[in-house]
Amino acid sequence: MRRAVLLLTMSLRNVFRNRRRSLFALATIAMGALGLFVFMGFNRGLMNQYRANTIRARWGHGHLYVQGYRDRAHARPSEHWIERPSAVMAQLRGLPDVLDLFPRLTVSAILVAGEHTVGGNGEGIDGAAEAGFFTQLNYRDGGDFRDRGDGIVLGEGLARGLGVRLDDEIRLVVQGGEPSPHSAALRVTGIFHTGSQEFDSRAFRIPLGVAQSLLATDRVESIAVALTGVEAWPAFAKAVQASFPGLEAVPFDELDRIYYRHAVDWLDAQFAFIRGIILLVVFLGIFNVISMAVLERTREIGTLRANGDSRVAIAFGHVLEAVVLAVLGAAIGLTAGWALSAGPLRDGIAMPPAPGITRSFRIQIELAIADGAQVLGLAVLTAVVGCLLPVWRAVRMPIAEALRHV
Amino acid sequence: MSLYEVRAVSYHYGGNGQAVSALADVDLDVDAGEFLAIAGPSGSGKTTLLNLLGLLHTPDAGTIRLDGRDASTLGERERTRLRRERIAFIFQSLNLIPVLTAYENVEYVLLARSLPRAERCRRTLDALAAVGIADQADRRPQRMSGGQQQRVAIARALVRDVSVVLADEPTAALDQPTGCAVIHLLKRLNRDRGITFIFSSHDPRILAAADRVVHLADGRIAS
Repeated sequence: MRRAVLLLTMSLRNVFRNRRRSLFALATIAMGALGLFVFMGFNRGLMNQYRANTIRARWGHGHLYVQGYRDRAHARPSEHWIERPSAVMAQLRGLPDVLDLFPRLTVSAILVAGEHTVGGNGEGIDGAAEAGFFTQLNYRDGGDFRDRGDGIVLGEGLARGLGVRLDDEIRLVVQGGEPSPHSAALRVTGIFHTGSQEFDSRAFRIPLGVAQSLLATDRVESIAVALTGVEAWPAFAKAVQASFPGLEAVPFDELDRIYYRHAVDWLDAQFAFIRGIILLVVFLGIFNVISMAVLERTREIGTLRANGDSRVAIAFGHVLEAVVLAVLGAAIGLTAGWALSAGPLRDGIAMPPAPGITRSFRIQIELAIADGAQVLGLAVLTAVVGCLLPVWRAVRMPIAEALRHV
Repeated sequence: MSLYEVRAVSYHYGGNGQAVSALADVDLDVDAGEFLAIAGPSGSGKTTLLNLLGLLHTPDAGTIRLDGRDASTLGERERTRLRRERIAFIFQSLNLIPVLTAYENVEYVLLARSLPRAERCRRTLDALAAVGIADQADRRPQRMSGGQQQRVAIARALVRDVSVVLADEPTAALDQPTGCAVIHLLKRLNRDRGITFIFSSHDPRILAAADRVVHLADGRIAS
């Protein structure tokens, strides 16, 4: 125990032995930790905002379908939709963490406005209910149709293709039901953009009643679920599996696999690369400082070995010193990172529109204790790995040679 | 039985056809409790002989027996153990750890042994008192004079109750009066505690304090 205390004391005092070099080492580690910590906070903020945007724009926390519906194509899809949706939803509301439920029906239609005809993929929704939760559906003009029975909202690309504005009339022609085709005249109440150009150029939303009427059904294709938080999904899915074996709960990241999951994977890979570069810079800084320190103390190492200290014991002392350096440097970096995010970056960082996105946004730096612990761990690991080679070289030097070292 | 039995020991530095002979065919016996000086000019092989006796080198030829055991056949771990338990060094350049106090420098070499804290503390303070610097225990080396630092180095050598202390020109970095005081301190410790001291020097006044002087010249024992 006393040996550990004395080694730790030595390590702490050694940190301040060559102040300029230690300052350089601490600055290298602190800057690395600061960069990594803030970068992870930025990454977390970006991911959380992207996730919130995905959930609040379109998907909710997930959807419920009839079991097996999504696994294959159906000749008559409506036969595989959810029957008596109101009764099912009334039961679902009893499950924990359910905030709201939104019945939906997919509609593929031809939209006609004057001389313009454009194909689109839309949804029949409960406009009044969805207006409260799906707040990330940004309206360029107008707004939700809410409880208006003949309203339609369009993606801005689709509106441009049809050449329509607010209050213009559109005829929706649907291939389905009997007799076919069915059509309905609707009036534009809003033009929205979600951030995805591809989605906005084909998407529309109409009242659920209109969609059911066009498709001649009283069923719904899916029920979108709003929970109290993303973390509540696994328990909710488990509860659905237990209480509603005929339904399948699909999370939002599975529904939006193409955009959300791929974007997350792509960003993760990019961030991992940048994280690697930061760690490499820290590693080289530590390696340089420890190499110099070990070289300077070669005769000391020789003395300790001559007095019967084992190679492992001496190496342990130097590794401990690297750990002390890493912990001090990381603590400074983490504190600076926290101060930066609470001060100058309190309002986040303004970002230009991302590829495929039509609006700019601000990313909040969301620092997390887990990220801080990870940064500390990485700093210590980097310091230990960075000191092993010079220390191992020094302790393997013949003792007499080490004692002569100048 | 002698503490050390050195027989036909040779040692070379370097290799690949550029080997330089440092010691050649050296025979030497050292008795327990002896106060032995190794004299000779620079490059005569004094330090090499001390390093061989301290198990820092392995001879290229010949044998070195410590308490009857052939040290040249021992592995690194066993040599480290012997150094820790039987041998202590005092260096010309002192080689104290600058970030530790005098007390901590002396105590440090005891930490490898599982001694109770009180015993470790008592032995450390006794060693510092024996060399007359107990009142400097809390000072770091850079705040001490050369003579005081050398006394810390001696206390560090004594504290482990070793059977032999090897001192390579222990007074070379000290002025004449301090050097004499240090050598008389070593002599007193040799007499009072029965520790074997083997030291190198080329200062006649220091050598005069020795029980026996072995002269080295060009790596061979001259007398």
